[in-house]
Amino acid sequence: MMDPSNINNFEDQWKKAFQEASETPPPSVWEGIEARLNGEQEKVIPLWWQSPKIWYAAASIAALLLVGAGFWLSGNNGGGKPQVAVSTESILKSEGKRSNAQESLPLAAESPTTEKLATTGESNVVRESKTASSKSKAPAVAESKVEIAATDHVNAADVKHENAFAETKNTAQDQSLDNTQPVEIAAAKVAGNGDAAAPTVENQAISAQLLASLPYSDLDVYVQKRHVFFRPEIRIEEPVKEKKPKEYYAGLGVMPASFNPDVQLKEAPMAFSTQSVSQRRATTGSSEARASYAVQTQGGVRLSKHWSVETGISYLRGNSAYEGGGYVLNAYSNLSSNVLENALAGLNSSANSPAADKAAGFNNGALYIDVAKKVSNNYQYLQLPVQAGFTLNPDKKFSYSVLGGMMANFFLVNELESASGDIIRTTANDDIYRSMNWAATTGLRLNYKLSSNWGANLTGSYQRAVSSGFRSNQSLDSHPYLYGVSWSVRYSF
Amino acid sequence: MTFNEQELVKGCKQRNRIAQKQLYDVFGGKLFAICLRYTKNRADAEDVLQDAFIKIYENIDSFRADSPLEYWLRSVVVNTALNHLRQQKYLKELDDIDVHHNGLSDREFTLGNFQLQQLMEMIRELPPGCQTIFNLYAIEGYQHNEIAQMLGISEGTSKSQYSRARTLLQQKLNKEKRFDDGSVQHKQF
Repeated sequence: MMDPSNINNFEDQWKKAFQEASETPPPSVWEGIEARLNGEQEKVIPLWWQSPKIWYAAASIAALLLVGAGFWLSGNNGGGKPQVAVSTESILKSEGKRSNAQESLPLAAESPTTEKLATTGESNVVRESKTASSKSKAPAVAESKVEIAATDHVNAADVKHENAFAETKNTAQDQSLDNTQPVEIAAAKVAGNGDAAAPTVENQAISAQLLASLPYSDLDVYVQKRHVFFRPEIRIEEPVKEKKPKEYYAGLGVMPASFNPDVQLKEAPMAFSTQSVSQRRATTGSSEARASYAVQTQGGVRLSKHWSVETGISYLRGNSAYEGGGYVLNAYSNLSSNVLENALAGLNSSANSPAADKAAGFNNGALYIDVAKKVSNNYQYLQLPVQAGFTLNPDKKFSYSVLGGMMANFFLVNELESASGDIIRTTANDDIYRSMNWAATTGLRLNYKLSSNWGANLTGSYQRAVSSGFRSNQSLDSHPYLYGVSWSVRYSF
Repeated sequence: MTFNEQELVKGCKQRNRIAQKQLYDVFGGKLFAICLRYTKNRADAEDVLQDAFIKIYENIDSFRADSPLEYWLRSVVVNTALNHLRQQKYLKELDDIDVHHNGLSDREFTLGNFQLQQLMEMIRELPPGCQTIFNLYAIEGYQHNEIAQMLGISEGTSKSQYSRARTLLQQKLNKEKRFDDGSVQHKQF
């Protein structure tokens, strides 16, 4: 039943009544539709194929090929010289026996396009390149190429003139020629008694009559017309482009971190091994992280909605402590050296090494003092990360990025506190630490959009060196790692 | 809605048979009801529906997402129906008719007591021209000048044909109503 709810207008009531009207069509309708769709699919023809123009173009190309092939073939027959092949039907008839060929009258046969002249009878073929015979009285004037073909085996010589008038009154076929045209003359001298028969000459060359009527020029060029149906979608894409995220961003941040150089002694340094204390705590010291920080700059580019790549330069101040119990003391000189500085000194034979004095003098009369002592071991690095990021909710106020990549750590300075409390300062020039070592880095970043351009980031990151920090790893090894939380601001443009 | 219109259109644009069938399943009923309104018998209605769906599938690329899909489908069906009627020459002899309004006020009018099927039959019993113009004006909501343009007739013809249709329908409604009231009474008691 219809619901008349407050609609009294005649049209509105009918409209309302049929607005949602529905009646299930019988299955035969869909079957019919499907059959028609299938039929159409089978004969799906590209639109351009239906265009008559493409057929004109195809016909033109075919005509060109035909003409080209004709020229090529006829060119082969004529030794490369242009010529017109003789048409097939020889209409000549001999009018009877002739005792002398010179008395025989050649007959000219006329057709709308060609004139042929043939002589019958056994013939001697003489080819002459230029001259006209003295007997020639009637020159053949040709506006186009002329060829008189004769063969040894054929009893007739056909002369074809295209658009030309040829006249022979002589018994012998001699031709005088138009100077401007390349001409071959084959004159046939008829000798002896001619045959009474009038042979029909079947020419084996290609028919030229067809070629003459084919178009040589004025071929129209047809361009394929394309029908584009997807214009509405172009319109849809436009607002998407406007919403497209900013392509580039730059950021500045600071990262409190926990840095651990993870220095390991692989074997006891000389002074300690001579003290036979390699089994003691001195050689099994460990590194301990201390408060560190990094100052970071970032530059990045968004490659797609979710993916981005970023790089930057960071200065890392990595503080740590080394706890290796005990040190050696030279009883005579009061020189002392803890295990790390002694090992460090052992790495470099240079006398100018900052720890050179720690290397010598402990072989004789040195004492091992077994006291647990922490010494500070601080590093400074310049870091160059390259990271890929995948961002979730990229266009929302809050978004999350997962980061991963590699980081080049350029070694700047190491400051190691000695047993006596002095600071041993090692720089990249001392050839102890690698000037650059690689670290893998990963992190999770929380992005908060402050405005269309500005954003704030909180990034938790983890870095771990994949190669040792020491240039030579004979007795020392170091794979620094770091945990940090970075606070940064970002400007997108 | 249990289907995603955009996905459906996308599928149809890709000539995906499943999407085409789904489109038919979703809208076939409503569109068939339109076909029934414009034709005189079911066979014709089925033909129109079939032709309309072929047109829909062939021209789905021209559908723009800025209007509802159903409007577009309905307009294709109505146009197909009109073509069909032209071929049947139903729309040939449409002339001005003198019609006197029966004086019934709009406010007194109600279709509340009629089954859809009854109303459908009433429309289909109208003379062809009246039927078409009534459908176009009252139900599809075209204006007389638009109808005149669509059918190649004058605006006056459209108006007079519509007026006649309306009178005829009114008569049918009045007639049916008497029977309906009686039957309802029987059922109630």
